[in-house]
Amino acid sequence: MSQNDPNKATGAIRFDKAGITYPNGVVGMKDLDLEITPGEFVVIVGSSGAGKSTLLRAVNGLNALTSGSVEIDGERVATHSNRELRRMRKRIGMIFQDFRLVKRLSVMSNVLIGRLAHVPGWRAMLNFWPAADREIAIDALKRVGIADKAWVKASQLSGGQQQRVGIARALAQQPAIILADEPVASLDPVTTHQIMRDLVRINRELGITTLVNLHFLDLAREYGDRIIGLRFGELVYDGSAKTVTDEDFRNIYGRDFTEDDLLEEEV
Amino acid sequence: MNVPARPPRNWMLLAGVTGLLVAMTVWSAYGIGFSLTEILCNIAGGTRLITESWPPDFGFLPRLAEPMLETVFIAVIGTVVGGILAIPVAVLAARNITPNKLTWFADRNFMNILRTLPDLFWAMLFATAVGFGPVAGALALTVFTVAVISKLWSESLESIDMGLPETIRAVGGTWFQMIQFGAIPQAVQHYVSYALYAFELNIRASVVLGLVGAGGIGMILETQRANFEYERVTMIILAVLVAVLIIEEISESIRKRLA
Ligand SMILES: Nc1ncnc2c1ncn2[C@@H]1O[C@H](COP(=O)(O)OP(=O)(O)OP(=O)(O)O)[C@@H](O)[C@H]1O
Ligand SMILES: [Mg+2]
Repeated sequence: MSQNDPNKATGAIRFDKAGITYPNGVVGMKDLDLEITPGEFVVIVGSSGAGKSTLLRAVNGLNALTSGSVEIDGERVATHSNRELRRMRKRIGMIFQDFRLVKRLSVMSNVLIGRLAHVPGWRAMLNFWPAADREIAIDALKRVGIADKAWVKASQLSGGQQQRVGIARALAQQPAIILADEPVASLDPVTTHQIMRDLVRINRELGITTLVNLHFLDLAREYGDRIIGLRFGELVYDGSAKTVTDEDFRNIYGRDFTEDDLLEEEV
Repeated sequence: MNVPARPPRNWMLLAGVTGLLVAMTVWSAYGIGFSLTEILCNIAGGTRLITESWPPDFGFLPRLAEPMLETVFIAVIGTVVGGILAIPVAVLAARNITPNKLTWFADRNFMNILRTLPDLFWAMLFATAVGFGPVAGALALTVFTVAVISKLWSESLESIDMGLPETIRAVGGTWFQMIQFGAIPQAVQHYVSYALYAFELNIRASVVLGLVGAGGIGMILETQRANFEYERVTMIILAVLVAVLIIEEISESIRKRLA
C-alpha cells in the first residue's frame, strides 16, 4: 500500500501501451508508453486535437482506456468499479481552463468541494464540515494568496482569482497528482505568468506530480521541466524543456510555428 | 461578400396551412354544436343573469376570510410538498444526469402519467381515499405540482453546463454529490421560478377543487351559486380576483429579483 506510506513519495504515473479510441472511431491516444516519476513537472504540448486532454483525463479515469493500462503508484486506474475510481480520484486534483467553480457559492464552499471524498457523505450533504477540513481549505487558499477572499462569492472574482480558487480546490484534496488542462488559456498574459509561477511553486513546495497542458510554446519552455509532445494521439517528443529546439516543436506540430503559438508576440 | 438573395416564400405551404386550420375550426364547431344563432337567441337569459349579479354583496365579505385562507393553505401545502417531491422526479428524468437509462425511462413515463391526468381526477381519487375536503384537495395539488415542476425543471437541468458535474466526479464525488454540488446550483433560480409559478396555478386550481367539495372559497362559491345568490357570487369572484392578483404580483416581483 504505497499510497498510505507517508515516507514513500507518491504520484508516479505509468502508461503501458495505453490507447483510447472514442465511440465515434477517433483515436485519442495510441500505444502510449510513458513513465512519470513522483514530483515531476511535466508540460504536454501538441496542436489542437493532438490528444492532450485525452491524456490528462486518462490519469483520473474521466476517459477510460480502450487498450493497455495506466497505473498510479503501481495501482491500475479502475475502469468499472466506481468505488475504486473514487478512491483514486480523491488524491488527484484537476484544474480546468474554464475554472469550473460553483459561481453562486462562496470561495470557501468551492474549495471545500476538494474535500468531498475525504469526509463522510452526510457531512458534505448538510454542509457540516469538520474543523480539520475547513483548516485544510483555508491553508489551500493561503497557499495561493487569496485567503482574504474566503467568504466572497466566486462569481465576483477576476479570472486569475477564480483560477486560484480552482488551484486551491485541487490543493484541498491533498493530492499526489495535479492535472491542469490549459489552466491559463482564458487568462491575460500577466495573470498567465502568475498562475504558471503558482503551479511551479506548489510543485516545488509540496512535491505534487504536476501535468500541465499548454498550447503556448514559450510558456512550455519557460515553466516545464520535462516536455511531452503529442501528435495524432501519439507520443512524438519526450525530453527536457532546457534542450527542446525549435526543430522539435516543428516536428510536434507538423508545421512551422507562428506568433499564434507564442504568448509574447515575437518569433 | 454579397448577401445571397432572399429565398422565395413558399406560398403554397402558407395557403395549405391556413386552409387546414380554417377547415379544422369549422369542423370542430360543427362537432360540438356551436352555433352563433343559438347564442344570440339566448343572450336575453345572459343579460338577466348579469343584472341579478349586480351590485356585489359587500356584507358577505367578512364571511369569506376563513374559506379564502383555507384555499391559500391548500395551495401552500400542495406547492411545498409537491415542490420537494418534484426534485428527485426532475433529476432522474434529466437525460444528462440520470444514473441510468432504465431509471430515466421509468421516471419519464411516471412523469407523463402524472401530467396526463387532470387535477380534478386526482381530487376525486384522493376524495375516495380520505373523503371530500381540504386534505383531498391538498393531496391533489401535491401531485399536480410534482407534474408541473418536474417537467419544466428537468428541462432546465438538461441544459446545464456539464463541466461542473464532471469536476465533482473528478474530485472523487459520488453521483449524489454530483447532483447536489454540480447540477442543482446551476438550476436553482429556475426551480424557484417554477415553484412560484406552480403556486399561482395552485391558487386557481384550489378554487376550482373547492367547487367539487375540496373546501375553501370554491365550496362557498358553489353553494351560493346553487342558491341563486348571484350578488354574493359576484362578491366571491371579486375577492378571488383580488387575491389572485396580489399573489401573482408578489410572485412576479420575487422572480424578477432572482433573474
Ligand atoms: N468525447 C469525445 N468523443 C469523441 N471524440 C473525442 C472526444 N473527446 C475528444 N475527441 C477527439 O479526440 C481527439 C483528441 O482530443 P483532445 O481533446 O484530447 O485534444 P487536445 O489536444 O486536448 O486538443 P485541444 O488543444 O483542442 O484541447 C480529437 O480529435 C477530438 O476531436
Ligand atoms: Mg484539450
